[in-house]
Amino acid sequence: MADIYERLHKIMVDNWRAVVLGLISALAFLLIWQAYAGYLHGTWLFHRTKPAGIADFIPYPGAVIAAFFESFVHRDPASQLYMTSHILASLKRVFLGFIIALGLAVPVGLLMGRSMGAAAAGRPIVELFRPIPPLAWIPLFLVMFGLAWGPVGIVFLGIFFPILLNVIFGARSVDVVITDAARTLGARSRDIFIKVVLPFTLPYLMTGIKVGLGIGWMCIVAAEMLGNVGGGVGYYIFAMLPLGRIDLMYAGMLVIGLLSVLTTGVAGVIERWVYRWMGMK
Amino acid sequence: MDGNEVIISLSHLSKVFSKDHMEVRALDDFSLDVTDGEFVCLLGPSGCGKTTVLRIVAGLERKSGGSVKVKKKEVTAAGSDRGMVFQEFALFPWRTVARNVEFGLEVKGISPEKAHEISSQLIELVGLKGFEDAHPSQLSGGMKQRVAIARALANNPAVLLMDEPFGSLDAQTRNLMQKELLRIWSATRKTVMFVTHSVDEAVFLADRIVVMTARPGKVREVFEVPMARPRDRTSREFIEVRGKVLAELDEEFEKARAKELSPE
Repeated sequence: MADIYERLHKIMVDNWRAVVLGLISALAFLLIWQAYAGYLHGTWLFHRTKPAGIADFIPYPGAVIAAFFESFVHRDPASQLYMTSHILASLKRVFLGFIIALGLAVPVGLLMGRSMGAAAAGRPIVELFRPIPPLAWIPLFLVMFGLAWGPVGIVFLGIFFPILLNVIFGARSVDVVITDAARTLGARSRDIFIKVVLPFTLPYLMTGIKVGLGIGWMCIVAAEMLGNVGGGVGYYIFAMLPLGRIDLMYAGMLVIGLLSVLTTGVAGVIERWVYRWMGMK
Repeated sequence: MDGNEVIISLSHLSKVFSKDHMEVRALDDFSLDVTDGEFVCLLGPSGCGKTTVLRIVAGLERKSGGSVKVKKKEVTAAGSDRGMVFQEFALFPWRTVARNVEFGLEVKGISPEKAHEISSQLIELVGLKGFEDAHPSQLSGGMKQRVAIARALANNPAVLLMDEPFGSLDAQTRNLMQKELLRIWSATRKTVMFVTHSVDEAVFLADRIVVMTARPGKVREVFEVPMARPRDRTSREFIEVRGKVLAELDEEFEKARAKELSPE
């Protein structure tokens, strides 16, 4: 415990300038929001002259923060669930999509990165499908794979390509002189693959995972909005609008942002750990 | 010192590279015998194919013709009986010093305990005791090359092939590493084939210096260097040998330059 405190303290001291600047900008953002909301709602300095409109959609920051906490302690007005249930539903889908993407992208990427034939065979398909936004597949996937697996499929598509491309790039970047050295030390193809190509590709994989997770969260929100897939933060955000609970809608958005930060943060910690283990800076 | 047994035997070795439908003859009728425990330097203008000779002996490059025998066996592929040290160090950055040295033993299936024993001996031999758990990124260039030498020696190879190993080091480190290499060599009695483009380095290190011709590379002249070690760079004898080798090399260098200016 003391160790964690010490490390946090060190981070704060080392990055105090960054921390202070970050706090200032966050505070400034909240102030401007507060002022603008006050203006819209006619409670701040001048009276609003325009009729209701945009004001209904811009609550005070305090209301959003209150709604954020409320969503965890009260059941929501649409599906009578707590926010934790929605988070779990979304997390489960992102996790499943992530695992499937990882399980497929890593072997395919290694193969395409190390074999000219596999690269030539795979490239047209990858190049054709990669630029199609995963969101374009949502209607089809919800019908094809159903409401349970459709969103997982969308997340899979979002995460698959960043991981695939990074793994291909990493496997291809292995220094020839390093594989040459391994060969003169008696390594066979299998040894080179396991003891040279795999560790060399690991940092690239971590980059792919970080990028992929961010895209995965974008995908899940969109997928959950387009069908009543049984809870999920995306569904929650979409369901609050017709009920006029703009504050809860913002709370859901905030949750998505925090979840994305959290998962990318975890991936970042693992990445740093991997780097340290591998003796890289 | 040596039983005059031929360890590396190259006869009529040739190598043709084809690139963009153009054939480049890198080596032509290159013949050389290296005996047990001998330290041979290959010297030549850049692009003369001296690295290619080394890579063919290592089994990293296929020959186009002739024969390459190491311990009377024709070389067909890379193998742990021929250790190689590269100019770029070529260490595994994710492995510690000890684990780099143990790579070849690990691949061979030698038990971790035994591998550890061998690696700690070699790490001591190359003067890196205390750095077993350091990663290559924490080492200087000279230290990295010490690791690479220990790593190549771990397989107890018959020959040590060194491709401009000190080429990327600064002058001081380079001189120090040359002395260190001689110390390690006299402790292990390996047969060494050492590629360099520095006449000074060759005269300081070698029993024999093989001066190669400009492309296509073949043996132009072989100099015996009978001086006792450690050699004094400022001695008359040293300067004399260096002068002779330099004169040969200069002619080839001029040829190589002329060839560069007039495309084939």
